[in-house]
Amino acid sequence: MASIGDIASRSSGGELLARARARAALLPDLLVEAQRIANIITQGLHGRKRRGIGEEFWQYRPYSEGETVARIDWRRSARDEHVYVRDLEWQAAHTVWLWADPSASMLYQSRQATISKESRALVIVLALAEILSRSGERIAYPQVFAPTSSRQGAERLAASLFSTEALAPSPDLNSISRHSECVYVSDFLDPVDEIIEKLEPMAGRAVRMHLVEVTDPAEENFPYSGRTEFVDPESGSKLTAGRADTLAAEYRQLYVARREELNRFAKSRGWSYTTTKTDGLASSALVQLFGALSAGSQL
Amino acid sequence: MIAFASPWVLAAFVVLPAIWWLLRLTPPRPQTEVFPPLKILARLIRKDETPDKSPWWLTVLRLLLASLLILALARPVLNPQAETVVADGPQAILIDNSWVTVADWESRLATARSLIEAAGDRDAPVILAFSAMASNTDIGPFDATTALEKLDAATPQPVAGDRNIAFTRILAVLSETKGANLALLSDGLAGGLLPVPKDVFSNVVFYTPANRAALALIGSVNGADALNVTATRDPARVAPEIFILSAFDARSRPIGSAELSFAAGEETADAKFELPFEIRNDIATVSIDGIATAGAIQLYDAGAGRRRVGLITGTTNEGAQPLLAPLYYIREALAPFADLVEPQAENLDATITAVLEDRPSVLVLADVGVISGASRAKLQDWVNKGGALVRFAGPRLAAAEPIVDDPLLPVVLRTGERALDGVLSWGEPQPIAAFPDTGPFAGLPAPRDVTVRRQVLADPSLLNSERTWASLEDGTPLVTGTRVERGVVVLFHVSPDATWSNLPISGTFVEMLRRVVQLASSNPSTAKTNTTALPPLRTLNADGRLIQPPATAEPAEPATAISFLHPPGLYGVAEAFTARNLFQPQTRFTPFTLGDDWNNVTQAAYITAEERDLRGPLFGLALGLIALDAMAVLWMAGALSQLRRRFVSAAAIFLAAAIIMPLHDASADQVSEADAIDAISQTRMAYVETGNAAIDDVTKAGIEGLNMFIASRTALEPGAPKAVDPAIDELAFYPVIYWPIDPDAAMPSDAALSKIDTYMKDGGTVLFDTRDELLSGFDPASASPATLRLREILAGMNVPALEPVPDDHVLTKAFFILQDFPGRYRGGPLWVEANAKTEADPARPVRALDGVTPIMITGNDLAAAWAADAFGEPLYATVPNDPDQRLFAYRAGVNIMMYALTGNYKSDQVHVPALLERLGQ
Repeated sequence: MASIGDIASRSSGGELLARARARAALLPDLLVEAQRIANIITQGLHGRKRRGIGEEFWQYRPYSEGETVARIDWRRSARDEHVYVRDLEWQAAHTVWLWADPSASMLYQSRQATISKESRALVIVLALAEILSRSGERIAYPQVFAPTSSRQGAERLAASLFSTEALAPSPDLNSISRHSECVYVSDFLDPVDEIIEKLEPMAGRAVRMHLVEVTDPAEENFPYSGRTEFVDPESGSKLTAGRADTLAAEYRQLYVARREELNRFAKSRGWSYTTTKTDGLASSALVQLFGALSAGSQL
Repeated sequence: MIAFASPWVLAAFVVLPAIWWLLRLTPPRPQTEVFPPLKILARLIRKDETPDKSPWWLTVLRLLLASLLILALARPVLNPQAETVVADGPQAILIDNSWVTVADWESRLATARSLIEAAGDRDAPVILAFSAMASNTDIGPFDATTALEKLDAATPQPVAGDRNIAFTRILAVLSETKGANLALLSDGLAGGLLPVPKDVFSNVVFYTPANRAALALIGSVNGADALNVTATRDPARVAPEIFILSAFDARSRPIGSAELSFAAGEETADAKFELPFEIRNDIATVSIDGIATAGAIQLYDAGAGRRRVGLITGTTNEGAQPLLAPLYYIREALAPFADLVEPQAENLDATITAVLEDRPSVLVLADVGVISGASRAKLQDWVNKGGALVRFAGPRLAAAEPIVDDPLLPVVLRTGERALDGVLSWGEPQPIAAFPDTGPFAGLPAPRDVTVRRQVLADPSLLNSERTWASLEDGTPLVTGTRVERGVVVLFHVSPDATWSNLPISGTFVEMLRRVVQLASSNPSTAKTNTTALPPLRTLNADGRLIQPPATAEPAEPATAISFLHPPGLYGVAEAFTARNLFQPQTRFTPFTLGDDWNNVTQAAYITAEERDLRGPLFGLALGLIALDAMAVLWMAGALSQLRRRFVSAAAIFLAAAIIMPLHDASADQVSEADAIDAISQTRMAYVETGNAAIDDVTKAGIEGLNMFIASRTALEPGAPKAVDPAIDELAFYPVIYWPIDPDAAMPSDAALSKIDTYMKDGGTVLFDTRDELLSGFDPASASPATLRLREILAGMNVPALEPVPDDHVLTKAFFILQDFPGRYRGGPLWVEANAKTEADPARPVRALDGVTPIMITGNDLAAAWAADAFGEPLYATVPNDPDQRLFAYRAGVNIMMYALTGNYKSDQVHVPALLERLGQ
């Protein structure tokens, strides 16, 4: 009997980039919400639709005592008997860190899936890079790509990614700057406690994480039966189940419980959690991510 | 020592590798799948995974199991007994039951038992004889059962035993038989056997002990400065050995100990008890520590003890001037270690006769010059039998006519004394020269401060230097002595008082007298009289303990050898006994060997341990391993985890209960000292917590508010209210406990109720507040839930008869004069213990009552009326909203508190006039 799952070869740059472009084209320019950011950067400014530090006019409002006199708009004040202050629109740019899990488990592809998990993760990351670059945000990739604002962000990221040998299995999260966004694409198959322990410090550094779980249908549905020896692609350790089908119900329960726990954790930190299956379309996940990244702007 | 009865079964061990291979058989190879979420799966699979291989430890377990079974089937036997060839004839057994066999008697019994059982198996008669037994003891032939009974009744005897007698009797029984078996269970000590008549024994088994441990005390000498005990040991013991000897007095109190040290290869050794003479005289037994045999003990009789000393003086002024009396110093010197006899008779002859009737060991004649013929003969006879005659010089002896070869004097004396000091003398008082090394005073230091001014002189021409035991520096003898047959005659050439010399008042005199007394034999006159047989008084048993003599012990003459009939011990009567010890000083132990005329002899060793079949333990162990294997299989199948989980939770519950229960008990039964001090350092009202925070807060605030009121109006400043749990807290610290009834709260436990009951009995007051005045309907039969709950609570207690506070109750006048006791509500009565209705006495407006009502019940919600915030502002409006009502509520609280604290104080007649005035009557 042929096996259900297999280890796919690592994806190559050009094809992925093309696919990412196609996905990115489906999305409008991204307006990344930047919360609690006061520092102005010269590029990638966009109005925050609220009063703040910026250059564009936002509103006139009556002067209230205590404000510095220098802010009074004398031209407007001269038109009637009140004294007005001219408010500006708050403008800020944001850095979005991207990360796709390069570990061996990501190379898994079952017969039900169209692509490997790694391929899906990279497509999502590159598509985001494309979108964000187009809208003037700065993108970065831990260990590979320092924060950069560039129209060709996706190409440059792809080039850098595929020329870097042996990425670390987990990113050096310390390099992620404070008050930035981070899109973290992985299959999250490590024990939940470890994952939470790894990500928890990010909340303290005010990094808004967007966790994207890439999952293979075989991992979720557990279509195995009979005497089966399971091999972990990362550690190589083996487990033998006498009758795999008897485990299915309980396994699914555990698998979903893990996802829900991660989801709960992300929500409790104000982070987003998105799931994408490799037998589905990447765009749906991208739309969700897009919503999550721009969620802050409605506030 | 393990042997196998069926050793061929051990060949089954070759199948072990096959078993191993079978156990290692693996199930069919599974489908291999790459599966990234393995960690999640691992949490499941651990439960019901069947490993493809048996774990190594399970294989080891099962192989061990198989090995155990093979071993058990091979019938292993621990301590196998050597099978000896036996003839078909009767089995004769000669057992040495001497004193040596005490230590390993059990192994002899075991050996004999196995021999008898073997004889019983082949229906052979058994002849059972012991080396130490009465000559009329039945020795068989017995059947095996009887022989075993006889064997069990046998004990080691405190004697050496005589194999010859027993062997002769065996031969007599077997005279007509041929082909008998003889088992000699020897003690290893010499004492040969008769030659064997030909063909009587076709088979002889000769048992000798593996280690020959004979060790005995064989004699002792009570020397001048020490008791010298001699011991001997079996020559097989060649290594240097050290033992401790202990001496005991007649009441078995330890007196002293000495070291007995055998040099390598030595057969004998001495131990010295270097004890003061008086203490040595008290020694009744000496034994080797830790060795309990009749041989390791030495008994002493009075022979080693105190001497009886007779004192006779020639002067007549005894007693009138004690310090000048001739015998005074002798008496003082001898009294500690000798029994003194001083008969008073009309003349010297009668005195000597009387003294000799007391049979003294020593007779002191102080300045006795002339002894008449009859007395002389008696004295001489006494001395010849061992008496010690000690004479002191003096004016009378000096004046006596010398008798040539006087047997009662060691030397021939010159008439008259020699004066070394005086107006007509040129001589100087002479000191004592060093004592000669050979005499009885050898080793005594010569006193430098003793001088002799006067002495009697021996005739130098007849003076034998051996008889001079002490002399002055000029060489003239001071003490002379000689042995006369068994006795001894000693002469001190000075007077026994301090007139001739200061010797009698020196310490040396005491030592010299002591040594002289020791020269005497203990009882010179008993030697002749004691030729009759003495009955046994106490005899030794084989363990070396003195016991009541056994029925077989017979009176023994002094010359009778120690034997089964005459065991070692004390013979005579309690006042005068002779000690008979097992061994003579010349005793040595030699090993026992059989003569050359013995044929068909097999050497054998005693059974040191019972033969044990090891099959049982091995099968048991195998069974245990099977159980273990079953557990392991269950565990690997995951069936145990379910059980374990249940067990763990149950265990956790038990553990928690075990931890919590003692804590709970401790807090219930014991009040920590700090808590107690805190509770009683201030007078305070306590309240019972209902568990309902709203009610408890009101109660606390209420009592605090009342406290403020009490503090501002009275001399009392109550402490902060204390919440109590009647089930746990000690209640005795509080005069009043306020108990708001919450119908929704849990019913107090029986223990809590009984504590409250006790508290009320012991003088406490509980103020129950049902807080339901508003709810109480017009129908007295209807009751609010709080009232019902209160009834429930009170049903568990001894509640006295109640009545609403009568007008003349102390409570109405305890501080304020009150008509009613309102709280937040007004109108509900305050119930208190009913009192016997007394005639309303206009002169006594307040009823005189003893004690304080243990219980008060109100429904007016007092606490809510009292409740105030930190600024004294009331928390709850009264119903109706009347400020006076709150004031009266406070006053009611003050009265209750005062009543609880002071009791019937206000009903005292002293206050009647004032009260009358206040009441306007």
